[in-house]
Amino acid sequence: MYLVADISIEICAAKSCKLCTQYCPEANTILYSDEMGKDQGFKYGSAYVAVDRCKGCAQCVWVCDNMAKNNAIKMIMIDQLPKAALTDNVTYGEKSTTAVLASPVVG
Amino acid sequence: MSLDYVKFSNGFEKFMPKEYRDLVEHGPFGKKVTVSQVGSFKEVLEEHPMCAGCAMTLFIRLAMVAFPNPEDTITVGTAGCGRLAISQAAIPFVYGNYGDQNGVASGLSRGLRLRFGDKPKDVVVMAGDGGTADIGFQQVLHSWFRKERFTTIMLDNEVYGNTGGQESGMTNRGAVLKMAPLGKKFEKMDMLQMAKVAGCAYVATVVPNNPRRVESVIKKAVLIAREVGSTYIQAYTSCNIEYAIPTDKVMEDAKTVENDRYQFTEYVSDEAKQYLSERYGYKEYLPKPAAPAGAIPGKA
Repeated sequence: MYLVADISIEICAAKSCKLCTQYCPEANTILYSDEMGKDQGFKYGSAYVAVDRCKGCAQCVWVCDNMAKNNAIKMIMIDQLPKAALTDNVTYGEKSTTAVLASPVVG
Repeated sequence: MSLDYVKFSNGFEKFMPKEYRDLVEHGPFGKKVTVSQVGSFKEVLEEHPMCAGCAMTLFIRLAMVAFPNPEDTITVGTAGCGRLAISQAAIPFVYGNYGDQNGVASGLSRGLRLRFGDKPKDVVVMAGDGGTADIGFQQVLHSWFRKERFTTIMLDNEVYGNTGGQESGMTNRGAVLKMAPLGKKFEKMDMLQMAKVAGCAYVATVVPNNPRRVESVIKKAVLIAREVGSTYIQAYTSCNIEYAIPTDKVMEDAKTVENDRYQFTEYVSDEAKQYLSERYGYKEYLPKPAAPAGAIPGKA
């Protein structure tokens, strides 16, 4: 067994700072879903971890505890996860595809 | 090398892996994405074999988000850790033999200008401190003196991390490493000063501790390299293996080093400032309004 990051939706959806998505060294691993928090009645969406890409470095835990001071991320054993998000199940919101530029040659 | 280069061939859509489908449907091509949107779109960087918690991986990831036109960009790398990740992205990657990366990029950048004329095609060199300051030093400096129009990024982990921990020119004086047990006897090379002397239009140091700053620095460097001249970014990307930094303390180390000896510095030449403000609307580089008539300079 090995450790992966797990984000508490209750804490994350109340703050929604998105710092962990920016500081994770692995691409496409900590993702953000607008629906995940709002479905459960929270104000914002929540970050979540695609566990099959997580290498267990725990950098997100340090960032969440010390920079965001939210303490929403814990490292837990992969078999202890109630609902693990795998890359196969990841969906991206339509929001990410709307900002098409008229001219692609813009900084 | 265009907005069409990542798309499905007719009839193959249902056979493509999920990662590819996500890239076509939700990737950054042809859109303006920022670091704060990360997590809501599919990034171009794919899974790679770099170590867990590596700061270099984080920097490469942020750099690829920050490229102004990923569909019109080619990355060039060389031996070292960085190329393990840079080559695993939906951005064409050219591998230069050790030390050749700036020579390869010079030819590539000139060739692209001949072939595509005014349409910008960005060439970005990303190599380690050994590839840039030691083995590729000659070609790096010559490309700068020739004012070749591409971006050079040094992934400075201050050690030869891929081969077991030998000292490099960028290792700090006194650092004790596995393959340098007596400690390094010489000072760290001042590549920033050399870049300025060689005539780079933009020179910056950055630490991945601040993702938005990484984004802004990369954007400026790539845009300036389109027309003005060579640009150089030196990024501190610690090696948590050779310097024995626990993976969850990598950002703490980055913060300490940033405050200690890797403060953010940025040099922009006057020509580059004018280019950025006129062509891309960077307000901070607009010429300052002239003092009102009758005002005496230096007196309040």
